[in-house]
Amino acid sequence: MSLALPEPIAARVEAGPLDGRVARGLRWLRWRQLRNTLGVMVADSRLRASMIAFCSAVFWAGLFLLFLGSFQFIAGYVDLANTIVEYLFSMFFLSLLAMLLFSNGIIVYAALFRSREAAFLLTTPASTDRIFAHKFAEAVGFSSWGFFLLGSPLLVAYGLTIRPDPTAAAGSPAVFYPLFMVFLAVFVLIPSSLGAIVALVVANVFPKREKSVLVLTAAAAAAAAAYVGWRLWRTPGEALTGDWLGGVLNRLAFCQHPLWPSRWMSAGIMASAKGEWKTAAYYLMILSSHAGLAYLVAAVLARDLYRRGYSRVQGGRSSRKRRGFRLMDAAFHRLFFFLPHPIRLLILKDLRTFLRDSTQWSQFLIFFGLLGFYFLNIPRLGYGAQSPYWRNLVSFLNLSVTALILSTFTSRFIFPLLSLEGRNFWALGLLPLRRDHILWGKFAFSAGISLISTEFLVVLSDLMLQMNPWMILLHVGMIAVLCLGLSGISVGLGARLPNLRESDPSKIAAGFGGTFNLLVSLVFIFTVVTALAIPCHLYFVGQENAESARFILSRSGLRFWLTTASLASLALGAAATIIPLRIGIKAFNRMEF
Amino acid sequence: MIELRGVGKSFGSKRAVDGLDLTVRPGELFAFLGPNGAGKTTTIKMICGLLSPSQGEVLVGGHPAGSEGARRLLGYVPDQPYLYDKLTGREFLRFIVEMYGVGRAAGAARIEEMIDTFEMAEFIDDLCEGYSQGMKQRVVFASALVHEPKVLVVDEPLVGLDPRSARIVKNMFVSQARAGATVLMSIHLLGIAEELADVIGIVDRGKMLAVGTLDELRAESRHGGSLEDLFLKLTDHDVPRAVSSVARARLEPTP
Repeated sequence: MSLALPEPIAARVEAGPLDGRVARGLRWLRWRQLRNTLGVMVADSRLRASMIAFCSAVFWAGLFLLFLGSFQFIAGYVDLANTIVEYLFSMFFLSLLAMLLFSNGIIVYAALFRSREAAFLLTTPASTDRIFAHKFAEAVGFSSWGFFLLGSPLLVAYGLTIRPDPTAAAGSPAVFYPLFMVFLAVFVLIPSSLGAIVALVVANVFPKREKSVLVLTAAAAAAAAAYVGWRLWRTPGEALTGDWLGGVLNRLAFCQHPLWPSRWMSAGIMASAKGEWKTAAYYLMILSSHAGLAYLVAAVLARDLYRRGYSRVQGGRSSRKRRGFRLMDAAFHRLFFFLPHPIRLLILKDLRTFLRDSTQWSQFLIFFGLLGFYFLNIPRLGYGAQSPYWRNLVSFLNLSVTALILSTFTSRFIFPLLSLEGRNFWALGLLPLRRDHILWGKFAFSAGISLISTEFLVVLSDLMLQMNPWMILLHVGMIAVLCLGLSGISVGLGARLPNLRESDPSKIAAGFGGTFNLLVSLVFIFTVVTALAIPCHLYFVGQENAESARFILSRSGLRFWLTTASLASLALGAAATIIPLRIGIKAFNRMEF
Repeated sequence: MIELRGVGKSFGSKRAVDGLDLTVRPGELFAFLGPNGAGKTTTIKMICGLLSPSQGEVLVGGHPAGSEGARRLLGYVPDQPYLYDKLTGREFLRFIVEMYGVGRAAGAARIEEMIDTFEMAEFIDDLCEGYSQGMKQRVVFASALVHEPKVLVVDEPLVGLDPRSARIVKNMFVSQARAGATVLMSIHLLGIAEELADVIGIVDRGKMLAVGTLDELRAESRHGGSLEDLFLKLTDHDVPRAVSSVARARLEPTP
């Protein structure tokens, strides 16, 4: 090597069609990235890779057994089994259609208009529709892997239980199993392409309003889901009777509209499971042609609008001055005067970031808003007038749902907090405070938000169910234990398994650490709820029938087991709070940035 | 060549670039100077086709900016360059060669030439995720040059480079220009602009204040001092003394 000026350049660029080379280059890029990623994973993170594979296998097997049992039950005990399965499939695929459209729209938008790779590719000779195709394929893979993980055990279980004709043994023809994968792949393309079309239109028409569009769309989707749920709850007749079932199916008739792709999907899947190949091929062709059309429209729009939209999104920086939070800050400092001042400042910083990111609080608000709406309508559903057994069951189910939603919040928003902080650690690390204070600050932030939102919901649910004060007190204590434990798990594991390279919180949450955090959270919720729900359940089962009461659980037995379970839950809650936090603090103190 | 005719760009009510006219000819090394927020990066992004002008026209080699013809001619090093973490430096260069349609044998030879020029042999087969800032910067420069662009656009080229690498990069700029390429660089280091540039353009608040050789700029502004003084005079910025009140109190003699 010399520092002298190099030889003059010579034009060696080949003339001729470039698009084929670009397409080959992008294919090679994807394959090479995949190969290198797997190579690094196998070389450096075998345990992590094995755990991901193991957890996925357990999840798949669990779902498969659940679906298998459900299909066997429907086939064996319920009239109209075929009709019910058809409705179930239509609703399942319609819900997935909506979810994939939503998720793929967001992912395609981020991939096309916010990623640094897109900026890089737009300066290369690759055509815009070619760049779109590259980013679209990546987005579809990212948004729909869960669909395959959920859909494949469902359809394998269905294939094993269905009888192609009443005289035949259960089980679909072998061709059904690879064929349903083709159906799934083709079906995914429809919502994904529609999501991409929406993303391109939003970037071109509302370049400064993407978050508002997102919040409004989510609110509209939630309202539609609430309306359907509301109508189902109000189905007349005694639950699980023939009339009631007819009423439910009648109210779900909208999912059978012949223009829904989900309807084509369910009809095609059911036909192929029965070996009716002509019908299956007909629906597969309908799905394929619509998937092709939707993708073509998306690609043409991308060709004509992508570069313009990119420019508008990049040029769409908001000049709006952010209003201060002086009142909130002053009130917070007064209210939490007992916390050390640096911790209060850290909590305020996280709170301000949270409030300014509407995509974060809107999801939280929608989920908890829906729950609140449902709890408020409990009297209309007549649960308050039910027997103590039913009210107890519903109250624990409500509490479990609240805790499960809370766990998705802590996994999605609290777990990535520390990973995101890694990039700003040059600022935090130089502050005159101990590192563990940063973690305690995050814990207090998470526990505070969780306690305020969930305690309100649980008390509302119990009041609407007319539960007695002792049960309300028990539930308030339980949800407090769950809030503290879930916050401790998410903050602690967030510090122990950070992803300092990623700046997108959703990708951090979807990674190994986030998935592990979610699994630990679910196990924690399951253990605490089961420990306390079982004694109550057994007691109230006994109360339904005085004869059996003394064989199941008496009042004194309930007191003993409930006290034992409460103490065990408290101990478990303390362990779930303290142990992950200690692990996290230890790792965080040793961490090098 | 690069040609901007009456180019303007607005972000809402903010006017980032305002009626900019500029021509950079083949074989010319143009240094684009201006204070922070003057509109340099916005102009560069319009040249590369990442932003569309609100008014006016941007041409690269006679093609509208952003068109395939313009992009084929262009090599671009942004202020925050992008590399694929899960590719090695060599794989990244190979990808670029493929994207620009360089022949296989010529591409392989050119990659080796770049590895040698930018002294990357030691790390070029490691994954980019492990590179230091300087290593990344060298790979990015190699990727911008490996397809032999006719137009080279560079935003803040020397950030993160050690003195030796910086010298290599400076030499590359000069050699590219002498070989007939059009080179436009945005830079804050006035000494580098003074040393390398054939033509200097000073921009502030989106408007071009002055364009010409250093001597022409001096003559035009009737200023015989350094480029730094000339720059401060043209951009009309007072430079407050960076001394805090506490430090000033310490510096002042006590009575």
